[in-house]
Amino acid sequence: MNHDEAAKLLGPYRDGELDLATCLKLEEHLAGCPSCQQKLAGEQELVGLIQSETPRFKASPFLKTRIQAALREEKSSSTTIPWWKHLSLGSTFSGLAGAAAVLVLLAVGSFWTQGIPELDQEAVANHVRSLQVNHLMDVASTDQHTVKPWFAGKLDYSPQVVDLGPSGYPLIGGRLDVLEHRNVAAIIYQRRKHYINLFIWPADAESLHGRLYNQNGYHALGWTKSGMNYLAVSELGEKEFREFVQMIQDQTVDSRPGE
Amino acid sequence: MTEQHRDAGGNLSQPDFEQVFLPHLDAAYNLARWLLRNDHDAEDAVQEAYMRAYKAFSHFRGGNGKAWFMTILRNVCYTMIKKLRSHETPEPFDEEIHQPVGESEMQEAFRQKANAESLHGALEKLPDEFREVIVLHDLEGLAYKEIASVVGIPIGTVMSRLARARGRLRAEIIAANAKESFS
Repeated sequence: MNHDEAAKLLGPYRDGELDLATCLKLEEHLAGCPSCQQKLAGEQELVGLIQSETPRFKASPFLKTRIQAALREEKSSSTTIPWWKHLSLGSTFSGLAGAAAVLVLLAVGSFWTQGIPELDQEAVANHVRSLQVNHLMDVASTDQHTVKPWFAGKLDYSPQVVDLGPSGYPLIGGRLDVLEHRNVAAIIYQRRKHYINLFIWPADAESLHGRLYNQNGYHALGWTKSGMNYLAVSELGEKEFREFVQMIQDQTVDSRPGE
Repeated sequence: MTEQHRDAGGNLSQPDFEQVFLPHLDAAYNLARWLLRNDHDAEDAVQEAYMRAYKAFSHFRGGNGKAWFMTILRNVCYTMIKKLRSHETPEPFDEEIHQPVGESEMQEAFRQKANAESLHGALEKLPDEFREVIVLHDLEGLAYKEIASVVGIPIGTVMSRLARARGRLRAEIIAANAKESFS
C-alpha cells in the first residue's frame, strides 16, 4: 500500500470500518510512516474532542409525552376507518387474490370483530358527543312505552327498552345514533348526575365480546343476547357500571322463542 | 407486512411502534437540533418524523429501525430547512470545494485551542451535509453503512465526506483561534 492510499484510509481505520485484509496492509504501512502515524493521532484527537466536548442535545421529557399523545390521537383517528378499508391500504393483495381474501375475512368476520376496540372507541365518542352538544335525547321520557314506539319507523328493528328506575338507574329517553355507519338505538339512563348510553342493534354478522373497555375514565361493555348487540357506555365508576350492565342483561328477555 | 406489529383489526399497534422507535428519540433529537439549530424546530421535526414513521410502519420490514427512522427524520429536517431558509440564496453543496487544510503544521495551533466552545461554533459553521455525517458518526455512533442508508449515498462517499468534514472542522477551529488571537 502506498502512502497516498494509506493516508485516505486513516479515518476509516480509526472508525473500525476497514476489512481485515486492508487493515493489515494499512498497519504494515503505518509502522514505517511517521507522517501517517501523526495524522492518525490527529484524527483520534479530533474525534475524541468531538465526542467529549460537543453537546449531544437531549430531547426534553415533554417532547416524549407530546409525541406519545400525538400518536394516540393519530391511532384513534385512524381507527375510525372501518376495518375492511385497511384491505385496500398497504395491502399486498390484489385482484382476485384480494377478492378471495375479502371472502375469507367476511367469513371470519364475526370472530375477528371480537378483538376490535374500535367499536368501543366509537361508542365512547358517541357517548361523549351526546353529552357535549346537548343532543342527549331525541325523545325525553321516563316511560319505556313512549321510548320504544318512538324508534318505530326510524329503525328496521325494535329495541327492547327496560326501565331500571326502581333500581336507581331511571330511563330518561332515547336517541337515534350511528355506529359503524348504521343507525342504532341509543337508550339513555341516568345515575345521579351521570348518564349511560345503551346502544342496541341487530347482531347480523358480529357478536360482541363482553369485555370491559376503558378509555380516559369512560367504560364501555358490549354483549350479544338474543340476536341483538348491546353496548353500554358511561363515565360511571366500574362497580356501578357493571351493576347496570348486569341488570340490563337480566331484564332483557329472550324475544326469539325457541332460542 | 409485519403482522406481529398489527392488532386483530389490522391496525398498527402503538405500543409496538413506541417500543421499536421511542428509544431513538434522543438520537433523532440530537440530529434534528444540529441540523435545524433551535429547540423549537427540532422538536417539531422529531414529532413530524414520528407521525410519518407511524403511518409508514407497515412498510418497515424489521431490521435496522434506527437507520430507517433516522432516514425519515433527516428528510423532515431537510424539508424544513428548505422552507426556513427559502429567503436565503441556496449555496449548492460541493464536496470538492471544501478541502481540508494541510496537516501537521496546523496541528499544533489546533491542539492549543480546541475547547468545547470553539468546537461547537466550528461544527455549527459546517455545511449541513458535513455536519450531519459528524453528528451521525461521531456523536450517534452510526456505522458507515447505516449513514449511507440514512443519507442516501454510497459507502465510499460516506468515507470521503466524513474525512472532508473532519478536515473542515479542524480548519474552522484553527480559523476561529487565529481570529481570536488577532483581537
